[in-house]
Amino acid sequence: MGPRLAVLAWRNLWRNRRRTLLTLASIGFGLLLAVMFTALQDRNFADMIDIAARMGGGHVSLQHPEYNDTPTLTRTVQDTDALVEVSEADPYVDKAMVRIQGQAMAATAGRNLGVFFMAVDPTREDEHTFQLSKGLVEGSWIDGPDDPGLLLGRRLAELLKVELGGKVVYTLVDKQGEIVSGVGRVKGLVSTGAPSADAGIVILGLDTVREVLGYAPDEATTVALFAKDPRRVRAMRDALVAAGLPEGVAALTWDEVQPDLSAFIAMKVGGARFMELVIMILVAASIFNTLFVSVLERTREFGILLAIGYSPMQLFRLVVWESGWLGLVGVVAGGVVTAPLYFWLATHPIDVSAMTGTDEALEVAGVGMPPELRIGIFPENLALIAIFVVGATLLAGLYPAWRAGRVEPVEAINLA
Amino acid sequence: MTTSPPVLSFEGVTKVFHQGDVEVRALRGLDLVVHPGELTAIVGPSGSGKSTALHLAGALDVPTTGTVRVDGVDLATLTARERAALRRDRIGFVFQSYNLVPVMSAHENAASVLALQGVPEAEQRTRVASLLEELGIGDLADRRPDQLSGGQQQRVAIARAVAARPAVVLGDEPTANVDSATAERLLDLIRSLNERHGTTFLLSTHDERVMKRVRRVVTLVDGKVASDETVGG
Repeated sequence: MGPRLAVLAWRNLWRNRRRTLLTLASIGFGLLLAVMFTALQDRNFADMIDIAARMGGGHVSLQHPEYNDTPTLTRTVQDTDALVEVSEADPYVDKAMVRIQGQAMAATAGRNLGVFFMAVDPTREDEHTFQLSKGLVEGSWIDGPDDPGLLLGRRLAELLKVELGGKVVYTLVDKQGEIVSGVGRVKGLVSTGAPSADAGIVILGLDTVREVLGYAPDEATTVALFAKDPRRVRAMRDALVAAGLPEGVAALTWDEVQPDLSAFIAMKVGGARFMELVIMILVAASIFNTLFVSVLERTREFGILLAIGYSPMQLFRLVVWESGWLGLVGVVAGGVVTAPLYFWLATHPIDVSAMTGTDEALEVAGVGMPPELRIGIFPENLALIAIFVVGATLLAGLYPAWRAGRVEPVEAINLA
Repeated sequence: MTTSPPVLSFEGVTKVFHQGDVEVRALRGLDLVVHPGELTAIVGPSGSGKSTALHLAGALDVPTTGTVRVDGVDLATLTARERAALRRDRIGFVFQSYNLVPVMSAHENAASVLALQGVPEAEQRTRVASLLEELGIGDLADRRPDQLSGGQQQRVAIARAVAARPAVVLGDEPTANVDSATAERLLDLIRSLNERHGTTFLLSTHDERVMKRVRRVVTLVDGKVASDETVGG
């Protein structure tokens, strides 16, 4: 029997084995670059978003509609217990945490400074909801929401010239616009990883701050919601809004709350996409070259095939099959080369502290990132790269295929 | 001379090519009729129009003026796609340089036209196996062209040309690239296929041996028939 076009195309691929192997190597290398580049970006951005969420208002923040524009302590949400209950019943939501956060003045015997404070319930928070839960570098945590003690950023403690057990007075503006104060002893020091945060963060007990500010027992500035899948925060927010939020409560996603970080990531993602496009164009150019030369070399053969009854469309399809096979085999070859390196890097982060000159975290867009390169690609991005490679291969094959279908049989047969 | 409808006819056919500013008149009013079962050679000096006539007969090209009919079908009325179908279903080709597909076995090459026609695989297998046996290369069916001698490749090319039982088989210098003994064996095969199956052959050639083995010799000079002789063969 005569072989089908797909079989014929497969065999044609191996007529010039060296050329095909070189092309496959370039596809494989392109795939390796694209996967590694994307994996580095995916992991980096996911970590940034995650850390940012755990440092602030979660993936979605329930707050007063004007709080985000003017984050004063007068703009609060009520019935936080009910909000937590309703939110945690949502299938997208993993956890909901009540917080009060805002600006304050912190004073010791030595100095006073403007600080950012977060009041939390330490009995409910963990490292998945609050980055600083694992950031304790000295002392101990506050015991509960009504613990009068406080934690300071390590650098802040130095600036305030206070040590563990030392007294700190914090001054706030309450709901009526009156200046109110609280006092607590330093129970622990924390490190956020971000130097600017370390120099300005104070952690307090939620109920302690409620009492100082004159808030109701279920009143706060923020209910921080954490998503089961951080890539679906928009769907989570939309579901909450669709379910109906109480009046005076707005739901904002992390990128709305932290537009600087969002813009930074968007810019980096744009750059990554551009690099991926460049890689794909290089891959496509290599494939185009292979197929085009291969078609030119076989002009006479195509003339013969036309003479014995192949139609121009069948020749077109034959070359498209050849490009499709190149793409598929290239993806498989690329996968074989990429997988071991990917899994090794995924489990062995590269320490870049030698390059950054510090063992401390790097502050990127206000987020403290550990000084190590970690990779982790989102499955949909991996699929997209594979589809892109095969698509680029097919596209690169279209013109050579068109040329094959346009061969004039008489001229082709007369070629020496 | 048979009275059956012709499988191939040229009526006042001209073919003009343009090579830059130069006009080349390859055929200048060719009239020729080939009937089923004929074994005909077209001969003539270089530039006489043999190859052009063969290309027109094979529906690879269309005439500038005049009419070429293959199995009663006027080529001028067909689209490129229909001409491809006509070549597949009604015409067989044997080329000077064999021109087998290098990535197909002898069997696959011989069956390729049948496959294009959509003949069921079992039938392809039976027909091609029997044909290769008849041509004396049954035991070489699984070999690829680069594993075959020139004569063996040309037999596979003949098998490919006749497997689908076309109305006419066109040969472009089919013995030009083989030695004398092989050429004689190929001509024996062509004669045998012509006599046993009534396959119609139209062979363009310079080869005296071919002229001695056919039944009709048409001589072209300057794009026209100069003589048309029935010979003993």
